[in-house]
Amino acid sequence: MTVPTAPVEEEEKKPEKGWPPTETKLGIIAAVLGIIMTILPFMPSFVKAIGLTFVLVWGADSVRKTSRYGLGTGVPSIGVLAVGYGVIGAIAGMGIAKVGGDFTIGGVEVLNVGVLGGVAIAALIGYISGIFSNSEKFISMKIPGLERGMTELGVAGTLAFLLESSMVAGTLKLDAVLEDVFLSGAIAFMFVMSAIGMFHPFNACLGPDEDRGRTLLLSFEISGLICIILGIVSIALGAEWLGSSSLGLLNAALLILYGIVVWVVFYAKFVRRSFEASYEVVGTGLIKTVK
Amino acid sequence: MDPITALLILVCVIVGGLLASLGVHMIPVGGAPAAMGTATGIATGTVQLMFGAALTGLFTASTVATFFETPSPLALVLVALSGAVGAMLMMSFTMLFANMLYVFGAGVVPVSGRVEVDPITKEPQTPYKTPQTDGHGVPNVSYISGWIGAFLGGFGGALMYFVLKNYAFPASLFPELGAVDAEMISAAAAGIAAAGIFVANAILSAYNIGGTIEGFHDPKFKRLPKALISCAVVSALCGLCVIIASWGLMGGGV
Repeated sequence: MTVPTAPVEEEEKKPEKGWPPTETKLGIIAAVLGIIMTILPFMPSFVKAIGLTFVLVWGADSVRKTSRYGLGTGVPSIGVLAVGYGVIGAIAGMGIAKVGGDFTIGGVEVLNVGVLGGVAIAALIGYISGIFSNSEKFISMKIPGLERGMTELGVAGTLAFLLESSMVAGTLKLDAVLEDVFLSGAIAFMFVMSAIGMFHPFNACLGPDEDRGRTLLLSFEISGLICIILGIVSIALGAEWLGSSSLGLLNAALLILYGIVVWVVFYAKFVRRSFEASYEVVGTGLIKTVK
Repeated sequence: MDPITALLILVCVIVGGLLASLGVHMIPVGGAPAAMGTATGIATGTVQLMFGAALTGLFTASTVATFFETPSPLALVLVALSGAVGAMLMMSFTMLFANMLYVFGAGVVPVSGRVEVDPITKEPQTPYKTPQTDGHGVPNVSYISGWIGAFLGGFGGALMYFVLKNYAFPASLFPELGAVDAEMISAAAAGIAAAGIFVANAILSAYNIGGTIEGFHDPKFKRLPKALISCAVVSALCGLCVIIASWGLMGGGV
């Protein structure tokens, strides 16, 4: 009689060169990158898209660290909360910037610091709602770190909206953004896709075998999809870069290219890591199994 | 910006947020257990249900708002009521078809798991409940509660929309675009801002009920005041944001 041997415990895999970074490190990198890309609206769209990618990954990480304790309402709720605060913070920030004035050289908006006021307000709203949600006297969710998570989500949502608006409109002037983003209806797409970029990774990957590095790859992939569609939107709207329409098409084309590269690379990475984590991959015969 | 207008925006946003919160506490949300037919309510999350209802309300409200060129109390009431009716219609269809699926698909009787006798129709509930479950489908009391909740939520959303469209982002701020485009920008900005404030309040209230509730007869409904205080503060801050944006759009100054 053969005694079944216990499965050999596989050694803990070493994370790929510093990936994933710690939560604080990722937050600082994403916030700094996002803020730099936001306050310099003259940069081409695909450079801003790098900021957008990191901001969405940060948001997804914040969703992960707040909702792994169980929110009771499902993971999507906190992602939608982030874009709710984000859209309010973004229009407030652009309003402050309009009053404060901007640095314009030759009709090109070079520096826009006023929008950071909106980011600060969104952070404040996030922090206060975090306090209310965690406090014993009010909603009493008792989730450790919820205040920090909601603050980060407010900032990430606002930065995501500001970056997407400036990618499509080429500027952060409130009336130009209202005309290009709100009138065209692109705002509805941004509202939904920014939320998906933040909540979908953890919502899809949660479970006992959830792995932070793998979950966050999914967020990269969604940001690629957002960039592809925003590129198409920019072409349809007649994209502007540096105020000259001659560079507009190239700007949008580079954004689409960036989106496709990010999407393909991170999709392949995600699938490979899922295969690596699985016990065995068995093809159904319908699709060729990649191993 | 006129201080009275700013105050009007702030008050209406707070009232809208409170109505949204109240609405969330009254709709029958079942969540994941309801998807297996083992809890009362519609098988989805609070956010999806309330946001869906509020958006339908915003569509009907914005359609009715195009009939009024200048804001008046009558216009306010009619626009807000049309938003409420739109949200009620969406919620009614969802509850009706959820019930049809439960009754004819899963073969369970709509029954409440929290009360022994339906508080409105006085029908007995416990004998029809499958043991080990928490009720099924959308019983009469939950259906009526859902109607009231959708009415309040839709009314609040449309109230915010009307005030934001006419006072925070009026079409007169965009004279260079022509009348039609100016109206559309005004409606789009107001709609998105109202939706943003609405979801923030709806989600905070959803956290308060822990994701599932049967209606006003549910014991969790007693937690309502805690959510109302939180929502009032958050709505006030969101209202301030909208006032800042509108103030910037008008070029600053008082």
